[in-house]
This record gives sequence, C-alpha cells and structure tokens, in this order.
Amino acid sequence: MALAFVLAVAATIFFGVRAGRQARHIRERNEDIRGWMSVPFIAHSRHVHEEPLFRAIGVAPNRRDHRPIRDIAHEERVPVRQLIGELETAIAQEANAQKESSPPR
Amino acid sequence: MSEQVLAALALYGEPALFLVATLASVGIPLPVMLLLIVAGSLAAQGTLNFGIAVAAAVVGSVAGDQIGYAIGRWGGRRLTGWLTRLMGDAKRLEEMDNRIRRWGAASIFFSRWLVTPLGPWVNLTSGLAGYSWLQFTLWDVLGEALFAVLYLGFGLAFSDRVQAIESVLGDLTWALVGVLAAAVIGWKLFAKKTAPPSAARSV
Repeated sequence: MALAFVLAVAATIFFGVRAGRQARHIRERNEDIRGWMSVPFIAHSRHVHEEPLFRAIGVAPNRRDHRPIRDIAHEERVPVRQLIGELETAIAQEANAQKESSPPR
Repeated sequence: MSEQVLAALALYGEPALFLVATLASVGIPLPVMLLLIVAGSLAAQGTLNFGIAVAAAVVGSVAGDQIGYAIGRWGGRRLTGWLTRLMGDAKRLEEMDNRIRRWGAASIFFSRWLVTPLGPWVNLTSGLAGYSWLQFTLWDVLGEALFAVLYLGFGLAFSDRVQAIESVLGDLTWALVGVLAAAVIGWKLFAKKTAPPSAARSV
C-alpha cells in the first residue's frame, strides 16, 4: 500500500507540473492544423481572415463552409498534408500583412 | 475516431454533440472532453448556440447514463453472472454493492465530470446494486450539467486554443485523481498505523 501511495504522489506531481508548464506557454504556441478543422475554425485559431485561406486552397470564400479540410482535400484529390502546408503559408503571409498594416505603437 | 467525431461536430452541430455524448456515456470510448471544448469554441465563433449545445450535451449524456443504469438494473442473471466473474467472486460483488450504497451519490456525481472514464462502470454497478433511480438521476443530471457547462465554458473562453486547453485540462484531471488516490491511501495507511495491535491484526 505504501508503494501505491508513492505512485499516487508521483503521478500527482508529474501531471501537475506538466499541466503548469503547458498552461504557462498556452498563449505562445500556435495550434496545429488538423484534418477535422474547417477553414473558418483555422482562421479563428490563428487570428487571420478566412478569405485568403479559402483562396489559398482554391475554394470560394464562404463563412458558412464548415467542411473539415480533410473533406476538402478528398474532394480536390490532394493529400491533407499538402492542404495544411498551403494553409500554413497563407497564414504566415496574412499575419505579416496584418502586422504591416497595423499602426506602430 | 477522434477526427471523425470532431469533423461531424463541425458539420452537423448540436445533433452530433447529442449523439456522441449519448454513445460515450454508454461506454464507447469517444473524446467527449475535446468535443465539448471544440463545441464551446464553435459557440464563441457563432457557429453553435451555447445554450442549445449545453442542453444537447446534458440530455445526451443523461440518456446514455440511463441506458447503462437500466442494463445494470434489469439486465438479468446473465449480466450479474458476468459481472460477478469479472469482479472475482460473489463476496467482492457484495462489497461493491455496499460501497455503492455508501458512496453512491459521490461516486455518481464525481464520475460525471472529474473521473469520467469511470462513468459507464458506475452506471452499470448503480443499477446492479439497486441504487434508487431518483437519487441516481438527480446526481447524474447535476454532474453532467457541471461537466457540460465547465468544458463548453473553457472552449468559449479559450476558443483559439482548444487543443492546448484540452491537454492542460487532461493533465489537471489526472493530477486531481492522483491527489484523491493519495488522500485515500494515505488515510488508510494512517488508520492502519494508529490502530491498536489487535485491530491491526484483524485488518
């Protein structure tokens, strides 16, 4: 039983420290793009406009298009990884454009 | 599986949330925590209605829990026999029965939102032990409502960080389970150490 107690304390410390570490960096890291995400969802997560993202993957911009990008990839007959790559490039360009257009502090 | 479930939520909204919550409560391993956080994020983006999402999650989960309870209660001798074999012997099943009667409310409430993997098991055993349906439903609804509001709320507040927040909350849940386990085991160790020698021998 003493071993079970030690294990429970060790698990508490391990998960507690890991949660604390992740929570501290939660605002610094970008969310990974996953196949289940729709283009508006990705745009919201990365704080960019959705129109350039739609255009980057060759889809007509539509706020109500909630298709997961894996479904779009399937319809367009391209690998999901390729679509994610195109979206990442478009996000980087859009983020730069937004940075340049915002007035300096 | 997780990808399909989340894609279904993005496509079909609240009905998908209801269905997944029901299936997960019956015992099918589906990522409900992440699903609720993503639903909260979709509510923040205006794609889902927060109130309807809460209702869909609570009604779906409670429906699944009721199925589990009903199977346990009216599943018949074959199920009792199977569970008895699973538990080891009839004496252990009786012990579990006593535990459910003693800790029923707490085990039902906490397995809804804190130690959720135990939920389907608690549903079955509550039915099997003949725990009052009214009491079961009361603690079930309270626990599931807290679970839905809590995780949809996290999704709403951290709508641009759903994967990160799910990871943090997952670790925090296990840390809390660790604290609870350490407290229970620690208390038992302490009781054993401070018990008089004759009592200690009989333990």
